[in-house]
Amino acid sequence: MRIGTFKESYAADAALFDSRTQHVWLGIAAALLVAFPFIASDYWLYLACLIAINVASSTGLNILTGYTGLVSLGQAAFMGLGAYTVAILQARWGTPLLLNLLAGGFVAMLGGMVVGIPSLRVKGLYLAIVTIAASFIAHFLFANFSITGGTAGLSMQPGQIFGAVLDTSFRLYWLIVPTAVLMLLGAANLFRTRIGRAFIAIRDRDISAEVLGIPLLQYKLLSFGLSSFYAGVAGGLWAYFFRVVTPESFPLSLSIFFLAAIIVGGMGSILGGVLGAVFMTLVPEMLKLIVDLLPGGTDLTVFLSPVRLVIFGALIIGFLVFEPLGLAEMWRRTRRFFHLWPFRN
Amino acid sequence: MAQQRISTRRRSIMLAAAATGAAALTQPLSVLAQGAEDIVIGGSIPMTGVFAFAGVGINAGIQDYVKIVNDAGGIKGRKVKYVPEDTGYKVDVSVAAFKKITSQNKVNLYYGDSTGFAKTINPELDRNGNILMAGASFATELNDPKKYPHQFLVGPDYTEMFGILLKHIAREKPGAKVAFVYSDSEFGRDPIDSSEALAKKLGLSVPVKIMTPAGSVDVSTEVIKLRRAAPDYTIFHGYILAPIPEFITQGKQQGMTSKWMGTFWTMDSSTVMKMGPDGDGFMGVMPYRYYYDTDKAPMLEKIRAMRPEYQSTAYTQGFLAAMLFLEAAKRTLEANKPLTGDNMKAALNSIKDFDTGGLIGVPITISGNSIPVGRVYRADMKAQKMVAASDWIKL
Repeated sequence: MRIGTFKESYAADAALFDSRTQHVWLGIAAALLVAFPFIASDYWLYLACLIAINVASSTGLNILTGYTGLVSLGQAAFMGLGAYTVAILQARWGTPLLLNLLAGGFVAMLGGMVVGIPSLRVKGLYLAIVTIAASFIAHFLFANFSITGGTAGLSMQPGQIFGAVLDTSFRLYWLIVPTAVLMLLGAANLFRTRIGRAFIAIRDRDISAEVLGIPLLQYKLLSFGLSSFYAGVAGGLWAYFFRVVTPESFPLSLSIFFLAAIIVGGMGSILGGVLGAVFMTLVPEMLKLIVDLLPGGTDLTVFLSPVRLVIFGALIIGFLVFEPLGLAEMWRRTRRFFHLWPFRN
Repeated sequence: MAQQRISTRRRSIMLAAAATGAAALTQPLSVLAQGAEDIVIGGSIPMTGVFAFAGVGINAGIQDYVKIVNDAGGIKGRKVKYVPEDTGYKVDVSVAAFKKITSQNKVNLYYGDSTGFAKTINPELDRNGNILMAGASFATELNDPKKYPHQFLVGPDYTEMFGILLKHIAREKPGAKVAFVYSDSEFGRDPIDSSEALAKKLGLSVPVKIMTPAGSVDVSTEVIKLRRAAPDYTIFHGYILAPIPEFITQGKQQGMTSKWMGTFWTMDSSTVMKMGPDGDGFMGVMPYRYYYDTDKAPMLEKIRAMRPEYQSTAYTQGFLAAMLFLEAAKRTLEANKPLTGDNMKAALNSIKDFDTGGLIGVPITISGNSIPVGRVYRADMKAQKMVAASDWIKL
């Protein structure tokens, strides 16, 4: 705990950000996020947008898996639902961007709630299989209906917001990053409410939660719905970002990517979802940059590309062996060190 | 005092780190010295993942042609630089590679790895206006100069490949029955409907169309369906290898007399030879000559001198892509025009009866987005080679 913090009310005790230092750091982080597009190249802007989309989706999965304890391997399918909804609305009716994003979120939410129905009866691996089935059903729907463009998918015009055409990473950044930040704040606040605490109670022991008066089905469905809403909005952002949506855009491996992100980052922690998504998106790119820096040219690229994947896999295993609580725990330890420095922690 | 010194030092280290970070963001790493006059070919190449077998060949092909051109003094005195990135055959990684390469280099030409990438990056190509792109995709959709004005295909599109096969079949056995077996993917479904219409136009019939999962293994029910239709020819599309050998083996066991055929990505010599003895006589369309073809192919001789071991058809595809890229750039520079996407595409479309040094057996003309020419080859398992089964067919 930080030294010298003194709470005088329950409200202060339950505050999301509880110290002045934290406010200062958040201010600096916000300033950096605002300044970033002006100093970053197109490539880094692209990565920032991709990270923000992945953060939004993995935060959603964290609500479901990390906080409610329900395993899901269907996050990519729900993203797909959101992306297709946005693409269809944008391409066919040209409805406003924010409305499309919300619609994408709600359609995914409905899909998530339907898939979540078995969650009252089954848990763990059984539930994982149900959600995998959802992935296959979603893929079938995407590939076999004319409204989704069949296997060729849908191409769409760039989105517009307040007259600005979002056709570059720079412009998209101002849509994607603030949306992701809002979603993060929403998730962080969720766990200060009755609903969020009910989720945590269900995760810790669902029978006890029921005894305490928490209606399990209702809250489990709500958790599925919220998680899928996040995935749907992330999918919608993805659609605006890439402007082409095909059935192959949201494979099962993407769901595994998000699950890996929250495990590596730290389950049941908002910061964990963020760090995990950043790690999973950036590390392969960083490894590429390192390979590029080595002398040897393209021959070395050919040789080292598979090695890069092995290193990435080894890094994930290494993290889980040496820090099973994820990157969020490492961050907490680092913070503790600075809070207590120069004393031993 | 000591504490103050430490914190000052820490602050300066943090400032230095922040400055380095900001510099890296604006000028991403590996800002390698690049002459202003270099002609740059960027590449999203799948060196890992399911298409790694092709990516490694494509990369080597582009690299070799660039070396040949640079050893001969470049193009109008300008050196050619090739900047590849591995994509793992994933669209988002491929887009990241594109952004990275284009933000570090003034890219003129770009090789893309998939249909998904070609479609995704198309608006960016139009916006950028300075890049001409080709790639590993032969998707029919890309063969549209209006929708894809800055792209082209390094061969016939998938519908044209079917067209070449169907033309060959109509000549060999008029009125033949042709079955289509294809994978449940964008790649697999691409030419099916249009080719069925073409088959009818050529007087052929399509008694059955069978769709299977891309990598399916158990195809016994599909084989029974196929045997009932008793086709004279069966065309596989949208697969690399599996489940083609399974279809052929089970079909032959059940007394089928069909001739079996494939399209480009199945037709590499090493892939076909993996089919084993049952694959003898397997035919398919190939827009390029095989590595070991000796008939009037000086460029293949050059390649064989550079690389004594067998090179795949993916290699030839990459090599030819680089050759056409640089021919377009050369023609643009010779006309004293800047290297823009429009100018290079116009220069590419000015290619008439162009000699590829025997990589393609006939002189080629590129009037639109594809090179609608190919030849039917047949597997000779004894010789472990693909041999020509038709002359070059132009559509």
